[in-house]
Amino acid sequence: MRGSGTIQVNRCGPQSRPLVSGDMRTISLTINRNRVTSEIPDNRLLIDFIRYDLGLTGTKEGCGVGVCGACTVLLDNQPISSCIALAVVSDGCEITTIEGLAEGEPLHALQQAFVDRGGFQCGICTPGQILAAKALLDSNPHPTREQIQAWMMGNLCRCTGYYKIIESIYAAARTTSGESRKQATPSDPPRGQGEGFRRGRI
Amino acid sequence: MATAEVWLQRLRLQDAGMAVNSTVGQAVPHVEGRAKVTGEAKYSADIMLPGMLWGKCLRSTFPHACIVSIDISRARQLRGIHAVITAADLPDILLGRFLFDCPVLARGRVRFIGEKVVAVAAESLDAAEAALRLVEVEYEELPAVFDPLQAMREDAPRIHDYPAAYAHAELFPLRQADSRLAPPIPNVMSQVFYRNGDIRVGFAQASRIFEHTYFVPPVHQGYIEPHACVASVEPGGRIDFWLSNKTPFIARSQIAAALRIPEDRVRVNPVVIGGDFGGKGSLMDAVLCYFLAKSCGRPVKMVMTYTEELMAGNPRHSAVITHRTGIDRDGRITARQAKIIFNCGAYGAFTPLQTVHGGSHAGGSYRVPNLEIEALRVYTNTVPRGHMRAPGAPQTVFAVESHMDMIAHEIGLDPLEFRLRNVLTEADKGPLGERWQHVRGQQVLAAAAKAAGWDSAKRPCVGRGIGIYDREPGGFGQSSATLTLGADSKLTLVTGAADTGTGSYTVLQQIVAQELQVPLESVTVVQGNTDTALFEVGAGGSRLTHTAGQAAIVVVGELKQALLDLAAQYFAIEKAHVRSVRDAFVTIDGRRTQRVELLQWAAELRAIPITRTATYTPKPGAGITCFAAQIAEVEVDPETGQITLCKLVTAHDVGTVINPLTHQGQIEGGVVQGIGQALTEHLVVRDGAVTSLNLGDYKLPTAMDIPGLTTVLIETNAGPAPYAGKAIGEMSNVAVPAAIANAVFDAVGVRLIDLPIT
Amino acid sequence: MIAFTYIEPANIEEALNTLAQYGDEAKPIAGGTGLINLMKQQLVQPGYLIGLRRLSELKAMSSSVPSPDQGKARWESSAPGGLGIGSLCTLRTLETSPLIRQYAPLLAEATRQVGTIRIRSMATIGGALAHADPSEDLPPAMIALDARVQLRSRTRVREIPAAEFFTGYYETVIQPDELVTEVAIPPQPPVTGVAYIKFLPQTQNDYATVAAAARLGLQADRISDVRVALGAVGATPLRARKLEDHLYGQIPTSAALRHAAELVADMVDPIADFRGSASYKREMAVVITRRALTQAAAMAQCRRAG
Repeated sequence: MRGSGTIQVNRCGPQSRPLVSGDMRTISLTINRNRVTSEIPDNRLLIDFIRYDLGLTGTKEGCGVGVCGACTVLLDNQPISSCIALAVVSDGCEITTIEGLAEGEPLHALQQAFVDRGGFQCGICTPGQILAAKALLDSNPHPTREQIQAWMMGNLCRCTGYYKIIESIYAAARTTSGESRKQATPSDPPRGQGEGFRRGRI
Repeated sequence: MATAEVWLQRLRLQDAGMAVNSTVGQAVPHVEGRAKVTGEAKYSADIMLPGMLWGKCLRSTFPHACIVSIDISRARQLRGIHAVITAADLPDILLGRFLFDCPVLARGRVRFIGEKVVAVAAESLDAAEAALRLVEVEYEELPAVFDPLQAMREDAPRIHDYPAAYAHAELFPLRQADSRLAPPIPNVMSQVFYRNGDIRVGFAQASRIFEHTYFVPPVHQGYIEPHACVASVEPGGRIDFWLSNKTPFIARSQIAAALRIPEDRVRVNPVVIGGDFGGKGSLMDAVLCYFLAKSCGRPVKMVMTYTEELMAGNPRHSAVITHRTGIDRDGRITARQAKIIFNCGAYGAFTPLQTVHGGSHAGGSYRVPNLEIEALRVYTNTVPRGHMRAPGAPQTVFAVESHMDMIAHEIGLDPLEFRLRNVLTEADKGPLGERWQHVRGQQVLAAAAKAAGWDSAKRPCVGRGIGIYDREPGGFGQSSATLTLGADSKLTLVTGAADTGTGSYTVLQQIVAQELQVPLESVTVVQGNTDTALFEVGAGGSRLTHTAGQAAIVVVGELKQALLDLAAQYFAIEKAHVRSVRDAFVTIDGRRTQRVELLQWAAELRAIPITRTATYTPKPGAGITCFAAQIAEVEVDPETGQITLCKLVTAHDVGTVINPLTHQGQIEGGVVQGIGQALTEHLVVRDGAVTSLNLGDYKLPTAMDIPGLTTVLIETNAGPAPYAGKAIGEMSNVAVPAAIANAVFDAVGVRLIDLPIT
Repeated sequence: MIAFTYIEPANIEEALNTLAQYGDEAKPIAGGTGLINLMKQQLVQPGYLIGLRRLSELKAMSSSVPSPDQGKARWESSAPGGLGIGSLCTLRTLETSPLIRQYAPLLAEATRQVGTIRIRSMATIGGALAHADPSEDLPPAMIALDARVQLRSRTRVREIPAAEFFTGYYETVIQPDELVTEVAIPPQPPVTGVAYIKFLPQTQNDYATVAAAARLGLQADRISDVRVALGAVGATPLRARKLEDHLYGQIPTSAALRHAAELVADMVDPIADFRGSASYKREMAVVITRRALTQAAAMAQCRRAG
């Protein structure tokens, strides 16, 4: 069965840019309290730099488009999606990945709470959940459950249904409330009309 | 063995207390917790081997086409490319879990958009992509068909020329089922009839007959970890795999069979799996990964992008379901007939059975004296479908539970009352003639209704709806366990089961600790690879707590026997005079009683390490079914149609709950998956192409989309799992869509017969 | 990821010179949350990325009596009480800024609903404007605030009202050699109520199905000022001028607002997608507009009373 064939030349037209980069640059940053200097191509994504150049595989890749939050790391204490950030933007900055959360043997209060309360099952989203939660507690040490839901809305989990994630964060906040923290920024009002576990009503 | 039975009985008597020294019933945190919260846990994509290369595929952009030619010459020459292969470079093998109809790379023909055509191994992902850009494929389009109803017409294009010629594994013995593979209907992969009684007689007895049709689109398992695998070939022959597959031993068998090599040349190594939900039971890219590794002599890693997962993973079967039911004057079911058309996609290879067995639930959880179900699995030029949490059940139960509600409304009965009148009781046989014990249908309905305030007043535009489902706890195939007593009374249990996050290792730890009356911390559970662990079917069909758990109990029994033998030898008495009691082992003969901490004493005797193994294969037909009844309360905005899920009650009849923490985690996770299928998820397929190509388009529920959840557990000490446990993994997601659809109808009188409900 | 050369200028002048040098081949990148995805899908393929992170001059915010030693770009402001927002201010900064909450609560409300906390931590107001996805939350709010966008190139400075800034699907008036440098929010009329409603019928983690921003000012009990802008209703955000003209001078009764909102049906041209058909979105545009007007009117009435 032949006739006029259709040649597929794989979605790439004559203007397409090459993929493999020739330019390399040196970046210096602090990652998990360690100073690191590295040579990378300009087009290196931050997640690939962390996982493959530095070998820190605790940061996971899920959706690749910045939606699921599995790749969450803290950049100068702000939660970001490392899968849609370039490695170059970490130059001169501080990055915290999940490996850097616990200082030594004892787990961070959030990690311990997630363990104690079943805040994870398969664990693939867990590093991202914990780091996002850390950013929350840094900015608002006593969040309500609604505030936790609103902040954590961008970290997807398919296993737990979120109930135990919220409880873990709530519990961790109560555990760490005794510690001195840096000045909290004004706490965020809940999204929508905020009625407990209901979705926001307009 | 007398000792083991006594033990078990004692535990049963102690159920009410679940007190001191009992680890069963405790909310023990996941044993692998530390690794998961610190980032130490390794998933397939985290595996790094020296010299490892990246594998990537070129995928078809046509739903159905002949491959006229493939030119890989330019791709091969690119720097950093170590292998470029097409089907021409591979032996002519077909892969599958039951039906072997899927090539490793498309051979001469592509049958869905996203089918793999060319594969490369390269030093970087960018280099791989650059190489794929240089590949030229010439296709000649063939007529394609996307809708199963169209595909069954005589004039439909044939997606597989000789479907009857495909090899397959043994037909799974399905209850009351008559299975035909490749029947003489165009593009039908399988046709299964389930029959009980005589529906002609049953319909003749009915005073009214109702017929409704429902449409359920495909949804994706949505695990956050896309499929990944690593293959490494030792020169001289051993092949190592790390893959996101929840049944490592079955994967090993399938790989060995496909490559026609002995199983012991293949080793599948442990990794944590980032979510399964039924979707990680196939080999996916593993065999291809092997051929790339073999071709270039280096380990190769392949990680699907999430776009590739959505496009070419193995999502849930979509279905068109027609129900016909006869009701007598008292509102009781006299007969039921259902036809379920499952869209199989382009290949049947991704499921382990000949049909999607959840279709057998089309009778519902009711007394149905006469039942006939026809389940068709139909090929189309779309993404091949696989298994997902309770395969076939959410579709079927959405249909039957919506149907029940529509009938209730027609005959003027309250939906709860209608169900109470018809739900299975201990005196009834199941819709397929099953004889069940400890039937709790009425109890779960009543408990759910009470917790939901079924009869309480509702504001305008607020509605409540029910769904109910029952399922036998899984129990098929063999599980094994290896238990070693080492120094310091430490016990190590080696299992071949993969960790998909359900907490199965924790349950095993609890069982061993319970059976030996030792602290939890002295028991370590380790996942062996396919060399070091014994055959284990793995996760699936809610079988692990039951089967692996029973294997653990048996192996503990074996270890205890070994210790009793040791005691008998040492004290020079008959073994029959050695008894084990609650917290120590006691030797008794005519003259003396000696209490000995056998575990420590064995170490002192230098008798350790002592290792015992055990296998367990469940006998079919435990005769138990578990019920889950769910009631959703929704508020509908009549101006916008927005549905707010206010509350959800999920009532379960459970056996002994071995670990309330992981058990509840399964319930909650399942409920939210059900909510996703009901309200937010729709894998859109248009003209054969999946258009929901990232998680921005395919909407998984978020932490803000969940309602207040009330869980009611009705505990019975009856179930095939250890300590009379049942199963929970595939219970709580199934009836949620129906409960929500029924609630929406109750709220605003609008009946939605398809999903998601928007 | 496509290969490109990354350049990080140290100040605005360098940035503008570099842009002028590379023209079409270069793209400025701030937070990158929009751009990187486009590049990953190869929909946008710049040869040069001009990283703006070092331009700290563009990260400042002030009310419109600018401090002389800040050295940032200034422009004439018609009266005290307005707001100048550097284009590199992140959405998270805007969301939590007491200044924004005080002077432009509508902007704070819209910003808070953008994406996820991670997006807001990286995305900038300038980047959001330049990205110009018609479903974004900021543009309708900015139109309703009469915001003006400052664009600078090596040779000129110009200001574009937000309502004229968006020209098409992902398209704006920005020229290849221009940078968004500042967003000016003029002083808002007194006795004003505002509302931003993002209609999310299915899941919170999404772009709006439709969205409406409203600003209503009252004098005595009549509407003395009104702005209504809609998002996710076509290829660009829409200022509903006809509706504004219609409402001006009226008493904001529920009948009046309902009638006014209906005018929106003919103004919008929504794109059908998985969030809904065009006709559904059109209907919802009317409903959401009415609700936004109602909310804004109620707030204005409160302020008048209080």
